[in-house]
Amino acid sequence: MLQKPRSRGRPNSQAERERDWGRGAAEEAPSTSRGAGSSQEARSASSQGSRRAEASPEVGPRSQQQLELKVAELVQFLLIKDQKKIPIKRTDILKHVIGDYKDIFPDLLKLAAERLEYVFGYKLVELEPKSNTYILINTLEPVEEDAEVRGDQGTPTTGLLMIVLGLIFMKGNTIKETEVWDFLRRLGVYPTKKHLVFGDPKKLITEEFVRQRYLEYRRIPHTDPVDYELQWGPRTNLETSKMKVLKFVAKVHNQDPKDWPAQYCEALADEEARARPETSGPAPSS
Amino acid sequence: MEEGRAERRRRTEAPSHTQGGPRRAGVMTDVHRRFLQLLMTHGVLEEWDVRRLQKHCYRVHDRTAAVEELEDFINNINSVLESLYIEIKKGATEDDGRPVYALVNLATTSVSKMASDFAENELDLFRKALELIIDSETGFASSTNILNLVDQLKGKKMRKKEAEQVLQKFVQNKWLIEKEGEFTLHSRAILEMEQYIRETYPDAVKICNICHSLLIQGQSCETCGIRMHLPCVAKYFQSNSEPRCPHCNDYWPHEIPEVFDPEKEREAATSRATKRSLRSRQH
Repeated sequence: MLQKPRSRGRPNSQAERERDWGRGAAEEAPSTSRGAGSSQEARSASSQGSRRAEASPEVGPRSQQQLELKVAELVQFLLIKDQKKIPIKRTDILKHVIGDYKDIFPDLLKLAAERLEYVFGYKLVELEPKSNTYILINTLEPVEEDAEVRGDQGTPTTGLLMIVLGLIFMKGNTIKETEVWDFLRRLGVYPTKKHLVFGDPKKLITEEFVRQRYLEYRRIPHTDPVDYELQWGPRTNLETSKMKVLKFVAKVHNQDPKDWPAQYCEALADEEARARPETSGPAPSS
Repeated sequence: MEEGRAERRRRTEAPSHTQGGPRRAGVMTDVHRRFLQLLMTHGVLEEWDVRRLQKHCYRVHDRTAAVEELEDFINNINSVLESLYIEIKKGATEDDGRPVYALVNLATTSVSKMASDFAENELDLFRKALELIIDSETGFASSTNILNLVDQLKGKKMRKKEAEQVLQKFVQNKWLIEKEGEFTLHSRAILEMEQYIRETYPDAVKICNICHSLLIQGQSCETCGIRMHLPCVAKYFQSNSEPRCPHCNDYWPHEIPEVFDPEKEREAATSRATKRSLRSRQH
């Protein structure tokens, strides 16, 4: 059976085997460049490995195959991390995947981003300018029938998150947590009661959605009892838009977005801002 | 069998790199991209559902186009995936030969997809179960035997009660199958880890005499010991009234299973779907 080239070489001892397995567990990503030992194996796999200088930290030229493998690992890492909807930190990328290919990190990331978009239809974007964290945005529009053929929950296009996003926008882009529960109570959703569909709604809204960067959850100072405010998080602005959310709210009420003139104006202005070419920061999502 | 063909493809297409980017590649369109995105949400998917998924993607992006033959469709995507060291691999369930597909990693030997979902001690539990399964005669490891190894696990200490739940998590995530208190590998695990298993346990691993792929469950000749997958037995001995071992020619002593029939499957599934839609209409 032909082996696909693996820069780590074949583990042929129990210790090696355990190390590989443990590595996978501890560091969550396939890697070819953990420590000098494995990268040595990697380089000796290529014909140019012997040119590597002994003492200096400078690395020898890497083969096309090694680069391709490194990009492949990066693509996989980004896909797996994004599945959990947790923004991916640059430091994690460098630590778990890039290793001593650090000098060409920008090129590797660029190549990985290209492959992600061409092959999978995902765009790699920075969560906020200079934040050094990334998320994947879907360039394909989710479609209702997707739900019938997918194996997981998918991104919440309808449901609790959309309702909360709608609430926040309609109330002027910020809302108090108490107001959220006042509204949700009417839908049978309570902070303290387990919900058949949403499970723990309080945890979902104040922890899960916040961790995924759909929402910002901040304590309002000098409030007694303590109250918090909720706003859109950076991921929301990248994945959807004020106009889309307004359309959702309108649909739910069986009305037209223009029936809310103030919000409609704001949404229009937002659309215009997105259409303008950006000098820095992420491109609009659709 | 399909696995053999995939193997042969890999053998003849040894990576000879020129520039980066797709070699002799197919073209990706939104149909293919949506297909890949949705396929990735499943660990492993049966062929009938894969066809449904393919049709859905055509419906969304290209209603007028003729739906490409699944094999060509997948080969096209695989030619693009090749430079990323992943592929859509086709296999079959070991018990009844249903064709299944999974997106698998070709470049690493460890279980990276699993690694991101489980803790160190959980992965070690899986590894222990895997070893017991591979060493067993039947391809099954009993819950008791797996749980007895709980003290040997790396990482955070795990109690037997917890380990039972972790095993159930493996079943839910389609890494293991449970039958009457015993565990074997799910087709997902076999597709994803075959390479790793064959390299890591070269002496203990069993191979099917017909398709030459990894064998966990199967039938064996009582005389010479060669083994065959149940679906491989079904195909090999189809309409043979006197089945004989392909290796030693001795009489094959086991019951010959039926060859998997996708038509019968479709009928069963349609009746299931009708029942489901009837149920939902009642809400």
